[in-house]
Amino acid sequence: MAIAESGQSSASSPLVTQLHGWVTTVDHKRIGIMYILMSFFFMVVGGIEALLIRMQLWVPDNTLIGPDTFNQLFTMHGTTMIFFVVMPMLTGIANYLVPLMIGCRDVAFPRLNALGFWLSLFGGCILYTCYFTGDALYGLGSAPDVGWFAYAPLTSPAYARGGAVDYWILGTSVSGVGALTFAVNLVATILTMRAPGMKLNQVPLFVWMMLIDAWLILVAFPPLTAAQIMLILDRYAGAHFFDPQSGGSALLWQHLFWFFGHPEVYIMVLPAFGIISEIIPVFSRKVIFGYASMAAATAAIGLISLGVWAHHMFTVGLDDRLDAYFSAASFLIAIPTGIKVFNWTATLYGGRLQMRTPMLFALGFLSMFLIGGLTGIMLATVPVDWQVSDSYFLVAHFHYVLFGGSLFALMGGCYYWFPKATGKMLSEKLGLWHFWLLFIGFNLLFGPMHISGILGMPRRVYTYQAGQGWEFWNQVSTVGAFIMGFGILFFFINIAVSLRSGKKAGDDPWDAWTLEWATSSPPPSYNFEQILAVRSRRPLWDLKHPEDPDWKYE
Amino acid sequence: MTESSSNSETSPHPETIAMPRPTAWPMVLAAGVGLLALGIPTNMIFSLVGLGIIITSLYGWFGQLLTEEAEVEEPLVAPELRAKPIKPSHKRVLAATPGQRLELPEKVHPYSAGIKGGLAGGAVMAVVASMYGLFSGRGFWYPINLLAAMILPDFADNTIAELAQFSLAALIIGVVIHLATSLMVGLFFGVLLPTLPSSPVFWGGVVGPLLWSAFIYAFMGVLNPVMSQYVSWPWFIASQFAFGIVMGLVVVRSEKISAQSLTPATNRESHDG
Ligand code: HEM
Ligand SMILES: [Cu+2]
Repeated sequence: MAIAESGQSSASSPLVTQLHGWVTTVDHKRIGIMYILMSFFFMVVGGIEALLIRMQLWVPDNTLIGPDTFNQLFTMHGTTMIFFVVMPMLTGIANYLVPLMIGCRDVAFPRLNALGFWLSLFGGCILYTCYFTGDALYGLGSAPDVGWFAYAPLTSPAYARGGAVDYWILGTSVSGVGALTFAVNLVATILTMRAPGMKLNQVPLFVWMMLIDAWLILVAFPPLTAAQIMLILDRYAGAHFFDPQSGGSALLWQHLFWFFGHPEVYIMVLPAFGIISEIIPVFSRKVIFGYASMAAATAAIGLISLGVWAHHMFTVGLDDRLDAYFSAASFLIAIPTGIKVFNWTATLYGGRLQMRTPMLFALGFLSMFLIGGLTGIMLATVPVDWQVSDSYFLVAHFHYVLFGGSLFALMGGCYYWFPKATGKMLSEKLGLWHFWLLFIGFNLLFGPMHISGILGMPRRVYTYQAGQGWEFWNQVSTVGAFIMGFGILFFFINIAVSLRSGKKAGDDPWDAWTLEWATSSPPPSYNFEQILAVRSRRPLWDLKHPEDPDWKYE
Repeated sequence: MTESSSNSETSPHPETIAMPRPTAWPMVLAAGVGLLALGIPTNMIFSLVGLGIIITSLYGWFGQLLTEEAEVEEPLVAPELRAKPIKPSHKRVLAATPGQRLELPEKVHPYSAGIKGGLAGGAVMAVVASMYGLFSGRGFWYPINLLAAMILPDFADNTIAELAQFSLAALIIGVVIHLATSLMVGLFFGVLLPTLPSSPVFWGGVVGPLLWSAFIYAFMGVLNPVMSQYVSWPWFIASQFAFGIVMGLVVVRSEKISAQSLTPATNRESHDG
């Protein structure tokens, strides 16, 4: 085979050839799509786990699911959603788009890029093999039940017998190495492969935020991997890093974990910031307000987020002065975040808003992220945290930022760029169903958790007694969960229907301004026949409006 | 540069484009890593096989990179599948505005006005709060200790008498919180003002304090339980109004500048020419 088949011609070739094409591909766009498909798959799995959790909490003293299974369910749910749903989805979207947006043919390390995907996928597979090992094979027990942060000493050989925790450690660390290869590749691509003339301060904001995201991955994941290796040594080589009885420290795990864990939450939300910074201007028909301050605020968020990890540890009993420092540092994050929210609002202000589905998701993101951010500030206040830490209030907080924030924006991104990737439009009608069911279900599900949390309901209890005022709120939550499940069903239906019989998209369906819309939909494997030279932040605007180009103003 | 040369194409039209050759080695390598890992909880055999796969695939991968096998010449797709040229748009660009780059509003207060307003308002507020401390007989340090209780958890159990004592930590933390909040509110207000209709002092002196007080009233129980327990609401609201009115006056009296001049000039002009 001297000449490879191109993306288009393989569509008609037999299934085996097609599969072979996907397995061997080094095309950043196909790798991106595989990441996204992987994310969808695990979203279904993690979603089912969540529905089971909610069904168990429907009534007091429910016996549907026993305590052990319940522990396994929330552990697997959290781990799955963070490492195998949000991470791959953002990685996939970035992989697909960044080279197109900076107008180049490929990423810096295409094969390494493929390796990153397969590591992530196999990481997920390793995690889930725990369900197949069972007590029968090798006597390993089943799913891990130590929470997504796997606190020591729950993970010590004494408490976690069998292999379940090993699958957690190995699955997340293998996929973590995958995330590292993604980040290395992305940084190199953005720094070295931009179209001629495109300065770093002219790349789309999504690219800016992914650049900082990738740096955060590079800083935050290695400590996690190190901690995981230490844990494996504890479990298999007789080391005692995290074993207080032999001179180890259980706190050490928490420090290492949250030094990764807090930046990780920003790793998951920065791409969302990036996506809506692309969507809002296009659907407001306005230039983004405060480009430079957006990029600077992102950098500030990245930096600050590295120094606040112990706000997850206020209840550990650290020194008061440490608590005060971490509390104050956490408040600081509100400033750059506020700048961003202000810029988005200012972009909307006076714009000619077009309420298409991507825009709806962007606005949904804005409103729910705002709520999540406010509860975040409350949690960063030490006495408040002492009250509501490890209650459902906390669960509400991080779902508002991670689901209402991150995942909503990522789904909005799917609507926005689906036409580019497939050449078909997603249906607006099904999209509306998807959005509204998700939005209503989401708020029914997580809104009441603020209340049940303040009423004292702890997180991670498999059941509760009647008469504490929690029943009603839990039932609302469970109803919300199912509504949301339906919403996501509409998402998948929409994708299937639109792939089959969606409206043709054309190259530039949204009348947008960044380079990815300058090529065909879907783009050929080499992205662009000719590489365009760039003179401003909106190269397509310049081409469409030669009488009034941006480079005169920038 | 002339307009016609902008966005010109830099590369000539080739027939084929060199792209990396598809390869299964990355997938095989990842499978090796996965097996290596799985061996740990299951059986060493898996790890050994995994290690073998890793070595083989690295050998294959690098071997491929070193030859011309690494790349393939991809032919261009059929002309009808290529992107259409981008045509000038006939859509009206928003009239009366410089392109759609209009910054709304056109005139704003300089950032410094917001900072000065915040500082002035904060100072007046501090005076009102201290007066409360003195007149209520709870002592000069009482208000600042209440504020600091937001961060200093051990204040939560203090009695009123203890809260009247001087504490250096509380003083520092209280001052920092107060300064930071005043500056933030001032800046926020300064930026927001020109976009709001009608009189600025109305927004700063009436609406702002009302909203802010209502918000604090609602959330104080969670934000700062100590303060919510001991604070005197009439004085609290009075100090909010003092802050808002003073800050509003300071900001309004500053001279408005064009929004454009908030961005550095060099940045705007570098592309002209
Ligand atoms: C203003 C910004 C934010 C602040 C001040 C903040 C503060 C906090 C604090 C103090 C906690 C720990 C509560 C406890 O353990 O008792 C927490 C938990 C959490 N936050 Fe945030 N947060 C903010 C934004 C975010 C964002 C943007 C995300 C994600 C995109 C996020 C995700 C999470 C998660 C996942 C947890 C729970 C971790 C766990 O215990 O499992 N937060 N937040
Ligand atoms: Cu955090």
